[in-house]
Amino acid sequence: MPDPASLVIQLLNGLQYAMLLFLLSVGLSVVFGLMNFINLAHGTVYMLGAFLGLTLVRATGSFWGALALAPLFAAAIGALFYAVLLRRVQGESAMKQVLVTFGLIFIGIDVVRMIWGDYEEAIAAPALLADSVRIWGQLYPSYRLFVIALGLLVAIVLWLGLERTRLGAVVRAGVDDRVMAASLGINIEAAFFGVFCLGCWLAGLAGVVAAPVLQIYPGMDVAILIPTLIVVVVGGPGSLKGALLGSLLIGMAETFGAVLLPEFASFMIYAVMVLVLLLRPGGLLPARPAA
Amino acid sequence: MFRAEGLCKSFGALEVARGISLHLPRGARHAIVGPNGSGKTTLFNLLSGELSPDAGRVFIDGRDVTDLPPDARARAGLTRSFQKNNLFPGLTVRESLAVAMAIGVGLGTVFWRRFARAGDTYRGAAAIAERIRLTPYLETIVDTLPYGTQRQLEIGLALAIEPKILLLDEPTAGMSAEETAEMAKLIADLPDELALLVIEHDMEIVFDFAQRITVLDYGRVLAEGTPAEIRASPEVRRRYLGEAAR
Amino acid sequence: MNAIPISQRRIVGLALLAAALVAWRFSGYAGQDRLGEIAIAAIFAMSLDLMVGYGGMVSLGHALFFGLGAYALAGLTLFLKWPAAAALPAAVLLTGIVALVIGRLIVHLGGVFFIMVTLAFGQMGWAWFARDRIFGGIGGLSGVPQLDLAAFGADLANPGDFALLAVAVATVVYLLLARLIDSPFGAVVSALHRNANRARALGCPVQRYKLAVFTVAAMLAALAGTLQTQRTGFVSPDLLVWTSSGEVLIMVIIGGLGSLLGPIAGAALWTLLHHYLSAVTPYWMAIMGSFFVAIVLFAGEGLYGALARLTRRLRHV
Repeated sequence: MPDPASLVIQLLNGLQYAMLLFLLSVGLSVVFGLMNFINLAHGTVYMLGAFLGLTLVRATGSFWGALALAPLFAAAIGALFYAVLLRRVQGESAMKQVLVTFGLIFIGIDVVRMIWGDYEEAIAAPALLADSVRIWGQLYPSYRLFVIALGLLVAIVLWLGLERTRLGAVVRAGVDDRVMAASLGINIEAAFFGVFCLGCWLAGLAGVVAAPVLQIYPGMDVAILIPTLIVVVVGGPGSLKGALLGSLLIGMAETFGAVLLPEFASFMIYAVMVLVLLLRPGGLLPARPAA
Repeated sequence: MFRAEGLCKSFGALEVARGISLHLPRGARHAIVGPNGSGKTTLFNLLSGELSPDAGRVFIDGRDVTDLPPDARARAGLTRSFQKNNLFPGLTVRESLAVAMAIGVGLGTVFWRRFARAGDTYRGAAAIAERIRLTPYLETIVDTLPYGTQRQLEIGLALAIEPKILLLDEPTAGMSAEETAEMAKLIADLPDELALLVIEHDMEIVFDFAQRITVLDYGRVLAEGTPAEIRASPEVRRRYLGEAAR
Repeated sequence: MNAIPISQRRIVGLALLAAALVAWRFSGYAGQDRLGEIAIAAIFAMSLDLMVGYGGMVSLGHALFFGLGAYALAGLTLFLKWPAAAALPAAVLLTGIVALVIGRLIVHLGGVFFIMVTLAFGQMGWAWFARDRIFGGIGGLSGVPQLDLAAFGADLANPGDFALLAVAVATVVYLLLARLIDSPFGAVVSALHRNANRARALGCPVQRYKLAVFTVAAMLAALAGTLQTQRTGFVSPDLLVWTSSGEVLIMVIIGGLGSLLGPIAGAALWTLLHHYLSAVTPYWMAIMGSFFVAIVLFAGEGLYGALARLTRRLRHV
């Protein structure tokens, strides 16, 4: 019988990983719901965010500076891709767009290797959060608590944004029925672009935030892409609630799976995906529930 | 032989079908009319299986098919044409009709012989093309056909599987006067044993072929009867026909 | 239904076969080894073209079945001591069963969803074999026995003999697939690729057909995988990694989606390019990725489409 202290620790670990997945999956999911398009290079943006953060930390000595700037760079790169590449294939099948992003994964990995080399790197947690807190008699790194708090903050801000702002209303309308929204004269193109860039910003943020906890290396993009895609499949495309629920499920499955069934550690998340595909193929909380 | 009882369907607060019932005997010539938004296409979707009703049942030859998907219902003898042309892009008229026939007779399980030589489908396709007056277009790719011709093929595909029950959704939609006349002839030439249900706006066509008419209004049946009864019905006059009835 | 006329197919097919035989005749060991590798890739690519080009299901996890075929053969021969000749068809069949189970779960999913899920399943396979101790984990397993073709006077350890076998198998696979596509089954698949909704309304059990295509494609990929073990004697999780799935899709698209012959040329081009580039620069992935993006953006119909356009233009001259 595991003692309550270690249970709480694992719960927090799961929550922290879930928040990371949330930052990545929410952008991907809403873009999918809006544009029926998955940016497979989303993990690449995350990876770039992490490496850019690394460079910024080394150059400025400030983690917080990196946290502020790297996501902006990531959003800018996303905007560039969108304008130059993705808009070219806009009119054509969603498949072409997805395939283009798949090619970008190949390019992204080598670009990172070219600039930063092949080695595994690390960023130390900022001084402010370098120590640990006592939880139920156990020591827990305060940085991980920060990650959880940040994730929840982002979730709340995004939720407010979707529910209370005009852009949010446009996005929700677009996810619900894109054709209708477009025909109402709403500038759906601008909304797409905005949401896409926001998604990239979040991915870049996730990259920097994850750096002190996970490893930074070329190839970390696909390592995080798979769980993120599973979150979108499980949570259901297009919805923030789906991304949150999916992230929690996958985050917990991965964490507790590694602890309880180390033999099958990586498979818990696939098992969850298979279960959802069997019982609720549209995802648990999709924006557009199947009729 | 085809029966729908009390079909109901709502999308959230919007009730699109409110207790619609229908009966088609063999050889029926039945029209569905009603203003836009009265739920005609929704009814078709409920009958063909594209939509699942919230309440009510559908029967083919006494068999309850309400829970069956569209392909199962087609194999049971019911098929439809669509309001917007729903063809196979890139195929010729002959290929489209041949593959429709192949689907109808279950030839798709044959994977070892060439299609052109297996069964009679290529020749059968020509025969159907003849019936729907598309013989000159047999080798033309459907994407390049004029709209009215596509419309004829739209029905031809449905006929290719030799259905017992055929639902035609606004067959003359978007057609010119000559094309409409052609379509009227096509409808008149349909097999006698076929149970035919047609959604139409063109009242001339309706009164031409229909033996029974159902008038829909906001998702429910406003009136049902012979053309004469419908013409005489005060509710129908008030709600729909107006000056169109002569 | 095949949109490409038979005469054109015959010419291109024979040209490719002739090129292969010429290459075989005039290459040294290295060239013949490369030819064997290309033939295997061609089978792999054709199998994916069936799924993507004809069935309309874009998979980014096709290497899963390639790897399963290879690992199944390795398992049957190394642990159950089956002769390779029996293990090979058994490995293909076993993979077919796995494909049926997975396919049942996922073929009804829409395009982009399907891509995501296949990517996930592919990585699941990789993760399994990377951890699995029986099959050697990340390092893999060597010593997979070869088919005994002494009765035919052939020794598969000889790259020339292997290349000939591989080219022969590829030719047979092509002919079988071409017949499949020309058959009523192929016509129905073509129809439901163009308009699944109408096919369904006419009585076609669309999901059953998609599942059949998925399974056949998986089994052919497994066949390619078993041949790979015969070429190298070696299995490793690299066979299932996502880049493998990506590369075979690239081969199909470069060659020409839905042309069946195009992917053969695409396989040859990509394999040669991959070897050349990785010898010349450590950043071959960036070049391949750029090439792929360019093809998708500008030459959607690939090599085969370009050829068709060229012949059309020549005909009008």
